[in-house]
Amino acid sequence: MSTFGMPCTGTQFAQIDAAANPQNAARIRHEFADWLGRHFTLDATKASDVVLAVNEAMANAAEYAYVTAERPGAMHVIADYDWDAATLTVTVTDEGTWRNVDPATAELRRGRGIPLMEALADRATVDSSAAGTRVCLEWDRITSARARA
Amino acid sequence: MASQPAASSCTVEQKRVGEIDVLSVAGVVDMLTAPQLEEAITAAGKDSPQGVIVDLSAVDFLASAGMGILVAARDELPASVQFAVVADGPATSRPLKLVGIADIVGLHATLDEALAALTA
Repeated sequence: MSTFGMPCTGTQFAQIDAAANPQNAARIRHEFADWLGRHFTLDATKASDVVLAVNEAMANAAEYAYVTAERPGAMHVIADYDWDAATLTVTVTDEGTWRNVDPATAELRRGRGIPLMEALADRATVDSSAAGTRVCLEWDRITSARARA
Repeated sequence: MASQPAASSCTVEQKRVGEIDVLSVAGVVDMLTAPQLEEAITAAGKDSPQGVIVDLSAVDFLASAGMGILVAARDELPASVQFAVVADGPATSRPLKLVGIADIVGLHATLDEALAALTA
């Protein structure tokens, strides 16, 4: 995938072109949590942190990305594991314009999604452009439950 | 890790303990189910209880949508109604503490502690 310059390095979890709505956010969260549990050895706190942070990124896309559109656009969730660095990277992208929402929409300011993501992930970046938004969440010291392929 | 149910499900049960309404929440509180919690808190407030306790002990997952409901409840309940939240564990008390909500809403690890705090 070349959108937003994402490298293709053996991505293991991908949900592409899901409508950015709350139902899909919940569904993808469940599938991601299952995938996480199967592929990595995480303590309860880390597992909870990762799933919640990913949920918050999707929730933002579902709630704000397409607020001016007639129906929700797409969101994409991709998780990548770097074996050498033992780092898990999850990106949630949308093609909406939630960062440009009218400042009068107070909800965006009251939301705690971004502070939560920053507190839960080792690194959290939110990059917005006219083309959409990419949230990148990274966790270090993640142990794979499987042998390297 | 056990596989999750396909749908987000949340149940809220209300019971009265003395003059306190206790809302026992179970399951998932996310942007889909948070409105259920909001309705339950509003309904409890109308009982004119001394206080309302939201017990999240049986909650597996708490999203910021749910956290926002807790903060809003604290503001919107009548001033005469006390408010407290019970939560313990990585999925609930940890994120509440991380974003400073634990200080705003009065967080306790057990229902007994919350009841003691409100009736002291």
